[in-house]
Amino acid sequence: MDFEFTEDQVMLRGLVREFLSEQCPVSHVRAMMDDSRGYDRDLYRRLIQLGMLPFPEAYGGAGLGMIEQAIVLEEMGRIPYPGPYFATVILAGGALMASGDRRTQARYLPDVSNGDLTMSLAFLEGGIAWGPETIRLSLRRDRDGYRLDGIKRFVPFGQSVDVILVVARAGEGRSAEGISLVAVPAGTPGLAIEPELMMDLTSKTATLRFEGVSVPAENLVGPEGGAWPAVELALRQAAVGASAEMLGAARKALEMSVDYAKVRKQFGQYIGQFQAIKHKLAEMLELVENAHAAVYYAAWALDARAPDAALAASVAKSTVNVAGRRVCGEAIQVHGGIGFTWEYDLHLYFKRAKHLEPLYGDTEYHRERVLQEVLAGRVAGSA
Amino acid sequence: MDLSYTAEDQAFRQRVRAWLAENVPRQKLITMEEKKAWHRKLYDAGFIGMGLPREYGGRDARPMEQAIVGEEMVRAKAPPPLNGLGIAIVIPTLIHHGTEQQKRRFIHKLLTAEELWCQLYSEPNAGSDLASLQCRADLDGDEFVINGQKIWTSGAHNADWGLLLARTDRTAPKHDGISCLLVDMHSPGIEVRTLKQISGSGEFCEVFFTTVRVPRENLVGDLNAGWRIAQTTLSYERGGNTLSRYARMLQQVTRLLEVCQVLQRDGRPAIEDPLVRQKLGQIYAEMEVLRYASLRILSRLERGLRPGPESSLAKLHYSELDKRVQELILDVLGPYGQQVGGLPDELALVPGVDYGEEGSWMYAFLWSRAGTIYAGSSEIQKNIIGERVLGLPKEVRADRVVAQTAGAARGDGAD
Ligand SMILES: Cc1cc2nc3c(=O)[nH]c(=O)nc-3n(C[C@H](O)[C@H](O)[C@H](O)COP(=O)(O)OP(=O)(O)OC[C@H]3O[C@@H](n4cnc5c(N)ncnc54)[C@H](O)[C@@H]3O)c2cc1C
Repeated sequence: MDFEFTEDQVMLRGLVREFLSEQCPVSHVRAMMDDSRGYDRDLYRRLIQLGMLPFPEAYGGAGLGMIEQAIVLEEMGRIPYPGPYFATVILAGGALMASGDRRTQARYLPDVSNGDLTMSLAFLEGGIAWGPETIRLSLRRDRDGYRLDGIKRFVPFGQSVDVILVVARAGEGRSAEGISLVAVPAGTPGLAIEPELMMDLTSKTATLRFEGVSVPAENLVGPEGGAWPAVELALRQAAVGASAEMLGAARKALEMSVDYAKVRKQFGQYIGQFQAIKHKLAEMLELVENAHAAVYYAAWALDARAPDAALAASVAKSTVNVAGRRVCGEAIQVHGGIGFTWEYDLHLYFKRAKHLEPLYGDTEYHRERVLQEVLAGRVAGSA
Repeated sequence: MDLSYTAEDQAFRQRVRAWLAENVPRQKLITMEEKKAWHRKLYDAGFIGMGLPREYGGRDARPMEQAIVGEEMVRAKAPPPLNGLGIAIVIPTLIHHGTEQQKRRFIHKLLTAEELWCQLYSEPNAGSDLASLQCRADLDGDEFVINGQKIWTSGAHNADWGLLLARTDRTAPKHDGISCLLVDMHSPGIEVRTLKQISGSGEFCEVFFTTVRVPRENLVGDLNAGWRIAQTTLSYERGGNTLSRYARMLQQVTRLLEVCQVLQRDGRPAIEDPLVRQKLGQIYAEMEVLRYASLRILSRLERGLRPGPESSLAKLHYSELDKRVQELILDVLGPYGQQVGGLPDELALVPGVDYGEEGSWMYAFLWSRAGTIYAGSSEIQKNIIGERVLGLPKEVRADRVVAQTAGAARGDGAD
């Protein structure tokens, strides 16, 4: 039993932190808020080339696990990094790895690993749900390939990635059978991409409309109609990854608040001397430390394929959703008026955490999942 | 980072589980003799004070082994051992500050529960602000003469000995005039009155001292060094035992899930009600986080790192969570959660318990209110976290004097 990071993990965190603090100052983050692509390709390439990817070495990755990805994403949450790392590596890369489709992995992952190819995963359509029943985008056989019709919303960096993995359904059913995953390059005829204007300007998303989009058969990822398990696993990893990023945002907001409470004076004393503020900060620390325990336990459980991996992922997302909103929200309260200004950076973290809160399962969704896992007996030590 | 149990730990857990399956008493323990006999059995098996060095009667056990025993005891529904406070606080105090003679005289008998101990710290006017205590110990030749009152003393009515903080110098600043003494609770001049608690049981007491004579050799450490001693030893108590608190909550919530299959709500089993499911999912997630956080503390202890003021986070976490767990249980169970007599067995936590006895939903609910008061209230923990973990400036205090050196707030382990 060892909950401490290894030396390699500590070094990885240091490397990412140093790189981002030097190469991705908040001035850059703010510049990207107004950028239509939402990220800098060169910076992205150099970031990818730090050598921290979860893919096998044969595909140019470093073979690292979810714990390392959580470390990287936590650091990104502290910036907050604007770019399609999460979309490419966690969502699309996660789905590709989970699909077990070697041919497609070999086709895309080497380019992903050197930073030349960006990707995303298109899941949500109308409404909000994270199960197979929500997928309606239709997939039909079409001469030598497939034809796609339908709509996808909130596709992370959908306006600026090169290839999008689309979760689609053949036929009418609502079950997991019939779910397929198809790779669609940006620019394919019939695919209309509309950027969405969202609260968090550092996380771009787009609506994708598919009207008679044709792709060759080789663009199918994994078995036709049998992609749901891979999608489900990718979403589970995404829930943990998003939690890690929110943890980074929350810890950063807490640090800023503690620093501020040590210098801001009112009524002749530092506001950190008032218990109303001191106790709030203590509670925020508790939330952040618990979020840390939840994120890294879940990351470990995924890596170890522990029997409670699904349970732990849902525990993490539901926990960090609450921690993120409370810590980043209270940080604004501790700062007073300055915390409400555009110029002060706090809202960047507040908005990043909020952006990730409903994605890959909101709090209620994951609480229900927790109960299902417990009632099914898939708890720690059950294997 | 590797959160799996080692093969060695798993084997140890199996051995503990097997021993408990064999030895846990089937009948409820009622008399003190029965409780002492059970305690002695646990001691002989090596499960009491097992983290202590062998020279003091312990087993040099690792924190993980202690945690496993704590967890397995709950799982096996084993009656708790005696002298919990004594083992947590008195023994470390003696090991670090006691004389050789004190160690030989007291530690073994405390571990085996031949002698029961209580902690005589709190007074009517000295709770969180423990250093303002007034109970006096005046040196008179080779003896201290004790006069004053203590309150909320758990188990004083059964105790043979007490660890006392008393004022030995009334002219010094308040933290500098306190000493730590070992008091024979059978001494003339001590009067103990039990106080009935909100749970209906009488577990804490008022203790009155009228010219009680204590030999000078029962002074622990230096004269007037009591505050520092109390501060250092109190910090030993926290941290490692969080997993057994998790285990207890888990046991209650697991039982709640069973009851929810039977209990009808709006014409269907409560477990099918989406609102109930949300609450259950939430609380279960919160308990899992407590488990993860406990493993994190444990892994630090295993590496030989002392938790320090961070242990306040753990204390705040589990005690506040316990209140949420118990509130949730009563939410879901409605009036059945408050029923003691006449509750159908299939809805009970433990069937057939009486008012004021451990084992009812109500009893667990009421006790959850104590955890955020004793051993340093939640407010005190937040002060410690704010000032000593986050480094925030100290609050303005009306009682600060220049000579005052020790930490302000009480980080104690009163139980
Ligand atoms: C079940 C139980 C068993 C106990 N067993 C023992 C025992 O065996 N031995 C023993 O010595 N004591 C024991 N205690 C006593 C316990 O340690 C005290 O109750 C505790 O220290 C709080 O003191 P108090 O009750 O005087 O409350 P107070 O200190 O008067 O506190 C009242 C309220 O004021 C708040 N408060 C106080 N100071 C501050 C501050 N600086 N900032 C913000 N808020 C503040 C508190 O948090 C609390 O909410 C026990 C208590 C309980 C409930």
